[in-house]
Amino acid sequence: MTSSIFMHPAALFIVGALLLPLFRKFNAQKIWLVVVPLLAFIQIRYLPASFGTVEWMGFELQFGRVDQLTMVFLHVFTLMALIGSIFGLHVKESGQHAAAWLYVAGSLGTTLAGDYLTVFVFWELMAFASVFLIWYRKRTRSIEAGYRYLLVHVVGGLILMAGIFLRYQNVHDLSFNLIAPDTATLGDYLIMIGFMLNAAVPPIHAWLPDAYPEATVTGAVFMCAFTTKTAVYVLARGFAGYEVLAILGAIMTLYGVGYAVIENDARRILAYHIVSQVGYMVCGIGIGTHMALNGACAHAYAHILYKALLFMGVGCVLEMTGRSKLSELGGLYKYMPLSLVFTVIGGIAISGFPLTSGFVSKSMIITAAGADHQTIIMLMLSLAAVGTFLSVGIKLPYYIWFGPNDPGIKPKEAHWNMQVGMFMAAFMCIFLGVYPDYLYNMLPYAVEYNPYTSYHLAETFHLLGFTGLGFYVMVKYLKPHDVSNLDLDWFYRKGALVFMWVAKKPINAANEWVSNVYQNIGLRFTMATARALSWFDWEGIDWALDGSAKSVVKAGEQARQLQTGKLQHYIGAAAGLVFVVLIVVVLV
Amino acid sequence: MIAQVITYLRERPAMLKWLFIAYLGFALVFDFFADRSDAHFWGDQIIGFWAIFGLLGCLLMIVFCKGLSHVWLERDTDHYDK
Repeated sequence: MTSSIFMHPAALFIVGALLLPLFRKFNAQKIWLVVVPLLAFIQIRYLPASFGTVEWMGFELQFGRVDQLTMVFLHVFTLMALIGSIFGLHVKESGQHAAAWLYVAGSLGTTLAGDYLTVFVFWELMAFASVFLIWYRKRTRSIEAGYRYLLVHVVGGLILMAGIFLRYQNVHDLSFNLIAPDTATLGDYLIMIGFMLNAAVPPIHAWLPDAYPEATVTGAVFMCAFTTKTAVYVLARGFAGYEVLAILGAIMTLYGVGYAVIENDARRILAYHIVSQVGYMVCGIGIGTHMALNGACAHAYAHILYKALLFMGVGCVLEMTGRSKLSELGGLYKYMPLSLVFTVIGGIAISGFPLTSGFVSKSMIITAAGADHQTIIMLMLSLAAVGTFLSVGIKLPYYIWFGPNDPGIKPKEAHWNMQVGMFMAAFMCIFLGVYPDYLYNMLPYAVEYNPYTSYHLAETFHLLGFTGLGFYVMVKYLKPHDVSNLDLDWFYRKGALVFMWVAKKPINAANEWVSNVYQNIGLRFTMATARALSWFDWEGIDWALDGSAKSVVKAGEQARQLQTGKLQHYIGAAAGLVFVVLIVVVLV
Repeated sequence: MIAQVITYLRERPAMLKWLFIAYLGFALVFDFFADRSDAHFWGDQIIGFWAIFGLLGCLLMIVFCKGLSHVWLERDTDHYDK
């Protein structure tokens, strides 16, 4: 069974990443960058229901467990790896591609894992691989943000591990399946918190808008797709139907979109908006009905594509102009019209326009909330949809491609491969909207939902149209300024400063005082004690026994004089010894 | 080509405005004919409910979030570097 690990899609990406430098040497990196994700995208269709089961130190690890829930995530993850790799073809650094692929491997490994230990291993691989996608930006800010990202994820990993240990102590079973809400104990909730950290559920979400805007252009495209959506998968697998998730998810949708309305950096807007969108999925998982879970999976699928498309669009602008702040951009439609078209497709898809993927996926969760009689949650989700269209659908493209500013830059249109990547994602956004059954057929439960009803259309026409009217009325008030807004990372970023001050001032001073005291008093006392003990040992105990210590010292002195310290003498002696041994062996 | 179309439209703001108003009118009229048999709560029965929800939600969200940013959250971009 061990050999079947090699058909694991994560193995494909890991081996692919390791071989990247070789292909770069032979000028074939671009081919390899397309071949590996394409292979993975095809290969996942042929995975058996269970594979890669390994006995390890009394634990049964399961590297591959495939069912409908796994399949929908595998499908979009490998598709996204392909789109992201094509978008990044122009990047020459093999290291950046390798980091992205190891990150994808971590995500695929987590999705396929059948037990918590395997989940944990791949979970950590994701964190440690993805941080390089931030560091490869190579700016001081990115390096600092990368360290914060890593520290937060290490803490999350430790909470997850503590939960796994406690769970093992309680139930002696590490298989990764649904935990019924009424049997959940402290350990299970710790696991859930570990998962929630990666899903960026407030108040443990601030790592996301802190880190993603500092990542490289292609790195951000990968990051926006995998970490949070893997977390959505594990929550759907282990914690469906927890009411706390429904409430937190609904809060998330509004929290994220609120920041998206006020932020200035385009990628920070999109990063906050991930929090909002993942909120829909977390909420759907919390509601826990078949329709809500279907909605969460469908929304994860659709969201990965249009959010990546948006990150690609603003990534193109950043790549070609070096700018991502709305206050420094404007009027780019003359120079980058294709990027505009693709970004707007992403924007209308995320806002849920009819004939786009958002329309067929988001509405499933909202309808599921309504069908479950959670009216307040349903209204919160609908309000977040208003904010989505306002912030990402209108504000973001308006201030980059039109807007009152004229920054006086004339960038070229993005590289061809970036446009191909954007085209693929944009195609999927519209394809899923026109032909939703392609998505619905992949979902874990049978779908009895038709998004194209006259009432849903009317509702959408109203929400979008009158949000647009609101923007039109308030456009002057929304003008971006070069500021950023405080978030809950304040606690650990300022908290770290306090910690550093404490470490520098009081602790350092105390340390110095103690070491002075020790040097002046302690050290002399210790030396004197040591001398006394040594004398006692030498003269007292050795005499009392048999004087053997003194004779050993004498013998050692004689042996020392035999040693000349010259290498040739030792080799000669060794050769002589071997000769003697040979003679003895031959003669005897 | 795309840039030319956009430039053409941008030079005619009045036309765009009337098109937008026509769209809003169409959306409101459409609501009279929508099938409301599968309503989830009281709001679904009111004609134009989501229009008011969208407009008020949008305005309140802008006022609330922008206001909160101005009075409390807003900082220089290098706030943490100082």
